[in-house]
Amino acid sequence: MTAELEIDNYLTALRLHLGPLTIAEREEIVREIGAHIRDSAEEPGASIASVIALLSPPQVLAAQYRDGLLITRASRSFSPFVLLRATLRLATKGLFGIFVSVCAIFGYSFGAGFVVVALAKTIVPSHAGAWVQDGQLVAAGAFVYGVPPKAHEVLGMGIIPLGLVLGSLTLLLTTWAIRTSLRVSQRWQAKL
Amino acid sequence: MAKLRANPAESDAPDRWEAQMRKGALEMAALASLWKKSLYGLEIIRFLESHSGLALAEGTIYPILNRLKAENLLTSEWVEAEAGHPRKYYALTDAGRQRLRQMAGAWLSFSDGLGRLLQPVFEQQEEPK
Repeated sequence: MTAELEIDNYLTALRLHLGPLTIAEREEIVREIGAHIRDSAEEPGASIASVIALLSPPQVLAAQYRDGLLITRASRSFSPFVLLRATLRLATKGLFGIFVSVCAIFGYSFGAGFVVVALAKTIVPSHAGAWVQDGQLVAAGAFVYGVPPKAHEVLGMGIIPLGLVLGSLTLLLTTWAIRTSLRVSQRWQAKL
Repeated sequence: MAKLRANPAESDAPDRWEAQMRKGALEMAALASLWKKSLYGLEIIRFLESHSGLALAEGTIYPILNRLKAENLLTSEWVEAEAGHPRKYYALTDAGRQRLRQMAGAWLSFSDGLGRLLQPVFEQQEEPK
């Protein structure tokens, strides 16, 4: 195999695995890695084959680019979908990612839950709220089939502002925690 | 593996710890390599090897540079070279210089503190047997 063919094969595979990136991003990366291979091969004792052998496989190098850009963009985003997607990707890389993903799912679930209860109270007041029986909290949230008959409601309509405030705070805190975790995680992705 | 289980002190944990520590400093090292002048990828790799002993797996630096550029800490420019193909030169942006100053300050403070903490360990090593 000629040297140029070896470079072309590597760069073609790299381009293929960079699929999710824009064409401009892909071509920029491919051009730079091509320049790296040619420059490295000119060093004493090096050859195209030895330089390519030292590079990560194209799919691994492409994944480093994709993950880096995904996490960088997500760490600036406020979209729960973008942030959750990035945390799920991070979860494939180790325990820290799994921990962040689980916290993200719980955080968003609780935050959305508080807001849903507040909104449900305005639409179907008898099916949303907090109920106690014999001094014990027996139900809290929004219910389709009603609540225990002997329980009495506490908080009343006050659960609306409470739910909105707690929900907003939980969603904001979750978003901040995910963005911070993503930024921290970027520093540990490199391969030495 | 059996040997590792028999004697945990001989495990590869220190190596992994050192690798994690180096990974944490890699972003700062990449920025620092560009403090004086703009460099292209292979020059950055060789600069880090010669000035800090930080040996990177080939190709690793490029996704990092790409990310730092996406964060507006670096800018890049293709320059025609005598080698016959253009090279992509990276340079620090103002935000990159600012970030590096912050990192350098935090690093010095951290290493000073740890140095004081580890002083007794070094003193004990130097004591004659």
